[in-house]
Amino acid sequence: MADFYGFTGKIARVDLTSETVSVIEPGEDVYRKYLGGSSLGAYFLVKEGILDPSVDPLGPDNLFQIMIGPVTGAGANPRSVVVTKSPYNFFCASTAGGHAPAELKMAGWDGIQVTGKAKRPVYIAVIDDNVEIRDASELWGMEVEEAEIHMKKAVLADLETREAMVRDADLTPEWAEMRPPKRKGLGEKRLAHAWLIGPGGENQVWYSAVMTEGARAHGRWGGGAVMGSKNLKGIVVRGTKGHQLADKKKYMSLIRNVQVSQSTNYFWRSYGTAGIGARSAYVEDAFPIRNWQWCCWADPNVKAITGPFMDTTSFIRKSSCAGCSLHCLYPVETTSEDPLMDGVISDMPDWEAMGMVGGNLGFMEMEGSDPGEPFTGDHNDQAENLAKLQFTTFLHDNYGLDFIEGGANLALLMELYQRGLISADDLDGIELTWGDVHAVDELMKKIIEREGVGDKLAQGTYETAKYFAELKGKPEIMDYSMTAHRYGQPAHDVRSPADKNALEYVTVNRACAHTGGGGSGFKQEDYPAAVAGQNGTAATNSLSICTFASGNWGGFTLDILKAATGWDDYTEEDLNKVGAREYALSRIFDIHTQQLKDPKQEYDMQVPPRWFDDPLPTGPHKGAVAYEGDSSKLFNENLPAYWEARGWTKDKGIPTVETLKELGIDDVAEDYAQELL
Amino acid sequence: MAEVERRDLKKEPSEEPKQSGGGVSRRDFLIGGGAGLSGLVVGGVIGREVLGKPAPAPEEVEAPAEEEAPAGEESPYKTGHTLVFDPYQCTGCMQCAQACAEKYADFLYPEETTHLMNLEFSRIRPMRFQHVDVLNYCTYCQLEEWAEGSSKFPCEAVCPEDAIVTIAEGEGVEGYYGMGYKWIDRDKCLGADKCWRCAEICEDQFGSGISFDPIDKKAQSCSRCGGDPECVKVCPEPGALQWVPIGRNGRYYAHQPTAYAELLYRKMYNTRREL
Repeated sequence: MADFYGFTGKIARVDLTSETVSVIEPGEDVYRKYLGGSSLGAYFLVKEGILDPSVDPLGPDNLFQIMIGPVTGAGANPRSVVVTKSPYNFFCASTAGGHAPAELKMAGWDGIQVTGKAKRPVYIAVIDDNVEIRDASELWGMEVEEAEIHMKKAVLADLETREAMVRDADLTPEWAEMRPPKRKGLGEKRLAHAWLIGPGGENQVWYSAVMTEGARAHGRWGGGAVMGSKNLKGIVVRGTKGHQLADKKKYMSLIRNVQVSQSTNYFWRSYGTAGIGARSAYVEDAFPIRNWQWCCWADPNVKAITGPFMDTTSFIRKSSCAGCSLHCLYPVETTSEDPLMDGVISDMPDWEAMGMVGGNLGFMEMEGSDPGEPFTGDHNDQAENLAKLQFTTFLHDNYGLDFIEGGANLALLMELYQRGLISADDLDGIELTWGDVHAVDELMKKIIEREGVGDKLAQGTYETAKYFAELKGKPEIMDYSMTAHRYGQPAHDVRSPADKNALEYVTVNRACAHTGGGGSGFKQEDYPAAVAGQNGTAATNSLSICTFASGNWGGFTLDILKAATGWDDYTEEDLNKVGAREYALSRIFDIHTQQLKDPKQEYDMQVPPRWFDDPLPTGPHKGAVAYEGDSSKLFNENLPAYWEARGWTKDKGIPTVETLKELGIDDVAEDYAQELL
Repeated sequence: MAEVERRDLKKEPSEEPKQSGGGVSRRDFLIGGGAGLSGLVVGGVIGREVLGKPAPAPEEVEAPAEEEAPAGEESPYKTGHTLVFDPYQCTGCMQCAQACAEKYADFLYPEETTHLMNLEFSRIRPMRFQHVDVLNYCTYCQLEEWAEGSSKFPCEAVCPEDAIVTIAEGEGVEGYYGMGYKWIDRDKCLGADKCWRCAEICEDQFGSGISFDPIDKKAQSCSRCGGDPECVKVCPEPGALQWVPIGRNGRYYAHQPTAYAELLYRKMYNTRREL
């Protein structure tokens, strides 16, 4: 009889300064309140005082966590969540799929926490109960794909490795004579999975990702830089202990239903998120083009950003996370006349990449024309444009960078260059015109090496804008920073009524996330519904499973959780509260760590003026702006109404003491709230 | 050497597979009953024991067996077949391994695994390399008598306990082993603490088709579910994993996982890369 089902009850705590490993046992009460993943991570950040402004995000005291949940492991759609204080000095809870999250549960852990800073580059090897800190000096400086191959090779389970035993005499004489045994023993299996950083994270580029399987990223908010600051190249896991489940047969049969329903989910199974490109541009009018100056090409024949075109041109195969039938990732091989891009092997790109490092960088138009003009090229020109986009996606993945913030950063610079607000002299001689993939390549090398101007750009879009605004004495430069809460806007616009509502970006607890949920509630100004949607997403990230699969989990999630944990009394309301807790704690975290006196003015109102001031120039929603151009309605009417629906104060958006008590988190958060209220 | 029985010549199949204690049937499983029996007694025989005498290894058959159904109900259990996977269709989703692990954990260790789902019981394991997935399982290599002095499985040839056996049709446990496929006699196997010759010779010269169960550390290798593999039934990708008549010696499908991945990488991406 295990102490826990679903959970293992244990989190590995690695102190890289003292090179010690200990075990944290949160206990059932904590698991019931927070489940795991993002919410449990938020709990530790607050409980351990990481929100204190004295904790430098890139200093040894910051707490880096990779958390999973009770249904991560056996089953389907596992996600791991990187939870830490972001280099941008706000809450980071960034998820990724793959196989590593399930492997961690099989190794017997609900998460890994890392504090301190190693004296030299290291990686952490987890083989079941054994957690080792190993030298990574050979891996430091390596790009993601290469380093991951090395790390996975280095970790084998006990039963997969043995000294040589077979002798010639074990074979027939004829066999032994022709092919004597090599005497290498056992060691050919490759079942470990890894999380790691690339050169971006090593050099603490603020928007560095924590990568897995080459192309899957805990992309946003800079978890990779936090790893880099700790001299931690990666974590590699091999688990052979399995997953303890309260009612295994019921659990596995519910999971099987999810898997079977996924296997007929044509949307995901055709092109993954690449399938929505055409809709986003030509139906929703919400695709990022040239730093959001356009959201739809005048000519709907620009098609390199669509799933079918990408598939026809370059998809090689398809790749699933553990237990998933959606296979939304497609490895590709790029073919191009330009040797820079020819033969690059990477993934698709997915939705965000095709927006942020595709349309947004001006890759999709013929040279000399702009998005408001007809597309004059042929199919090969479209394919060459796609190659630029795939190459830039590959660079971000392999350097270990968030291509959303990275794309926002590059697009900002390109627009400043277009408008003559900066020149090549400001970019170490690089002429950064729209669509120039060679210029992008050069600039990205500077960013990851933090060389020359790259050292400034490595701090992300908002700081880049600030740097040039001050350098040039032109405050209007800030207007082109397409950021909310000082972080790059993902590839969904808020001006078109067909896509996101602006308030969604303003209220999501992870700066400017596109995956916060609550969309229809925001559009209808039904804030209790919006809050419930956000809480549901946060609960999904705490469980922690993939939100893409939530349609197939729909209606079964609670039953699956119950079958895993044996908590027969757990309710939908309990799940909702997990999300509400994460929102309350992360809000307090953000305000306290930044020491905001007037959070709305100092933080929440940092959004792109373009949302309200620049009408969409083309497409089905031509002329649209957010909130009919009235930002005060958003900030002074709707935002307070949303805060009220959360049980937060209407002036600053601070969770009230009553709310904290109702959520049962006053024990960790009340003192902070009292100070902020 | 014995011939593999041709399907069209073999005797009338039994109408219904014997219920094999241990687990829930696939149908129950899909419905989500969860009220499986946990006994191991199958037809009066304890499931963990190897039934019957080993039959010689199947020989290669150049012409695929006819797919002609005999009169009456067709048995789902097929002799002379093998597993092949298509690396373009396989997505590395692990559902084959989940199903295999569950089936054999429940068969061999129903009590110990009442609450435990552990992939280590699986005889088939996807392995993920950069942008390539390899599906790792026993491909039924055979030595060549004229060159290597034996026609046994290599693992069988090096086993000091004769624990690797072929179970003839009509013997074994339907749905688990038999019908001319390999099985490991768990009473004879010494376990990985004492001996790993089978796994070592496999990795040394062929593939990596043998693993060890996480409880008693006895060798485990694909028994083709006695002719009706569970992995094929649960695979969500059409064509990714197929159950087809044996066309050639299994050794020509076998590669060490890393070598396999490197070959597939060459094929898929026209690039040589160390994986």
